[in-house]
Amino acid sequence: MTPNSARPDPAVLSRLYLGAVLPCLTDLAEQDATVVDHLGQLRASIVFSILGGPAATIRLQRGQILWENGCGRNASVILLFLGDRHLNAFFSGNKWAAPLPVWGCWRVGLLARFSNLAQRLEAVLDGAPQVLDSAAGRRLHARLSLITAGLALHALAQGDAAARYILRSLPPGLASFTIAGEPRGTVWFDHGSAGNHAGWSDPPRRPDVCIVFADIATAYGALRGEIDTLAAVGSGRIRVEGLVPLAEGLNFAMERLRVYLKH
Amino acid sequence: MDSNADRYRRSQELFARAAQVIPCGIYGHASPAAALPGALPYYAERADGCRYWDVDGNEYIDYLCGYGPVILGHQHPVVEEAAARQRRNALCVNHPGPVMVELAEYLVSLVDFSAWAVFGKNGSDMTTWCVQVAREHTQRRKILKVAGAYHGIDPWCTPGHAGLLDEDRAHIHDFSWNDLESFDRLLARHRGDIAGVIMTPFHHPAFKPSEMPAPGFWPHIEAACRREGMVLILDDIRAGFRLDLRGSHACFGFEPDLICFCKAIANGHALSAALGRKELRVAASRVFLTGSYWNSPPAMAAALACLQILEQQEVVSILRRTGEMLIHGLLQAGAKHGYAMLASGPPAVPFLCFIDDPSSRRQQYFCAEVARRGAFFHPHHNWFLSAAHTPEDIIATLGMADDAFAVMRNEGL
Repeated sequence: MTPNSARPDPAVLSRLYLGAVLPCLTDLAEQDATVVDHLGQLRASIVFSILGGPAATIRLQRGQILWENGCGRNASVILLFLGDRHLNAFFSGNKWAAPLPVWGCWRVGLLARFSNLAQRLEAVLDGAPQVLDSAAGRRLHARLSLITAGLALHALAQGDAAARYILRSLPPGLASFTIAGEPRGTVWFDHGSAGNHAGWSDPPRRPDVCIVFADIATAYGALRGEIDTLAAVGSGRIRVEGLVPLAEGLNFAMERLRVYLKH
Repeated sequence: MDSNADRYRRSQELFARAAQVIPCGIYGHASPAAALPGALPYYAERADGCRYWDVDGNEYIDYLCGYGPVILGHQHPVVEEAAARQRRNALCVNHPGPVMVELAEYLVSLVDFSAWAVFGKNGSDMTTWCVQVAREHTQRRKILKVAGAYHGIDPWCTPGHAGLLDEDRAHIHDFSWNDLESFDRLLARHRGDIAGVIMTPFHHPAFKPSEMPAPGFWPHIEAACRREGMVLILDDIRAGFRLDLRGSHACFGFEPDLICFCKAIANGHALSAALGRKELRVAASRVFLTGSYWNSPPAMAAALACLQILEQQEVVSILRRTGEMLIHGLLQAGAKHGYAMLASGPPAVPFLCFIDDPSSRRQQYFCAEVARRGAFFHPHHNWFLSAAHTPEDIIATLGMADDAFAVMRNEGL
């Protein structure tokens, strides 16, 4: 099994959208002033739910965005998807894959605002030219790419055959990935014998391995696969401290995210 | 004490240049990423006996020995003279030299089960070729190997993940070291289609303690190979000539069908060899084997000289005694400072690590501190002794280790 070999699993992709991409809205709102302006004083929540499957809730709270796992209470809008492929098609921009608005369909204005928000997130994560043109855009792209990659490890570890193959050979432990000098610039992944957990911001305990990108430019290059990461480690632009095999293995597992998101 | 930035300034400068023109800067097992970036040297300038000097002029007692090849000590005069004499006669010509025949005869006389020998340059050359020989001999597809064992860089066995196809490993199946149930499960699943089993004499994975074979492990594997007609390939590349001059199987009471040597065979000159039973001679003759420099005589002359010295001076015993002295001393020094350590592997190819150090941070700190004092232990890879290490060198090393443990204790590590 190699990182590029196994076909993407629709169930994993849907969980990546719900559990790794949508949470980036929180950081997008914190870092991108245009998003804050766009949201204004709006208070609302939207549930994305797969029939008989997982769900995630996005809460818009006066310029802040919160992500919750599962169906949150008192949702303004509930969007139902008939299956993983339905949600995946929607998130990949297929206009014919509209969800079923089982609650709040009359809140057209909210949905329109969210649509704009989602387009902004997509542009940042995809590294659209207008985003990467500026230092601020590149910073945002690097931050959100790191958050997505870190959180994605959970969904990949749960269901992706290639990632699971790699993870099986890794020692257990907690890994953190940090962009030095960036506030809330850490994601972590706990590879444990009893299960895997991922999170953003402060790790639950001292990590067994810390991967630190010296700056945004290094993180940007590494996350886009544009720099020689081993040379960066040797020159100190990427610092790996602690359980090296865990860092190496997670790096390969993270590469599966690219396979999924390019489909 | 000087900072690491000062201590390794020239190494870092060279690496910065290298990173412009060489992928990874330094690739493979010597990559800084596999050791302690910034806390160990990156480039070496010269070596002599059991010592080497990095490009910043720092001196080290060497417990890695070029990752194994240096068994008699760096720049051994007899070996170097044999290689130089041969090089003056012929370096790279159209035909093999007589020394190839002499070396093959010597090896075949040394390794009791063998009837023939072939030569390459690196360990992978031999392991991959032996896998092909096993397949040719048995007309079967499957190869069993131990999970986490290193057999080289070819697609069927590389520890890397990049550039591979699933097809590269479609017929390679892993079982766990010392886990006969997992071996038997594979055997039952693929019975009749298993060409061979390739294993190292003891398990020496990177980043983990080494594991010796449990009682009954090798006899079970050997018996299964005989019963099922599978070729037993011993990858003795790392341990060969350090545990027993006749091949490491002699230590563990079994006989393989094929054995691969490299590393210590020529005290640092590029040479590898595979030896086999007479029953595999025809298959060996059918599997194509060559390389641009594989017939080059100087490394073979070096090997012949090296092996003769190993035999005459009973180097295996020397390595065992020196290794025992080192391991015993390190365990004692650690205990004195309150550190419980685990010694693993044979004394000539030892590895020490800290118990209750799951992140390896203590190990890494210890190796960095010892390096600053003048001895080189790799934090994640087994170590090697050479015949050039004297008891005085070991005592000096133990003094450095004692200092390093004291610093660690003061730092609360």
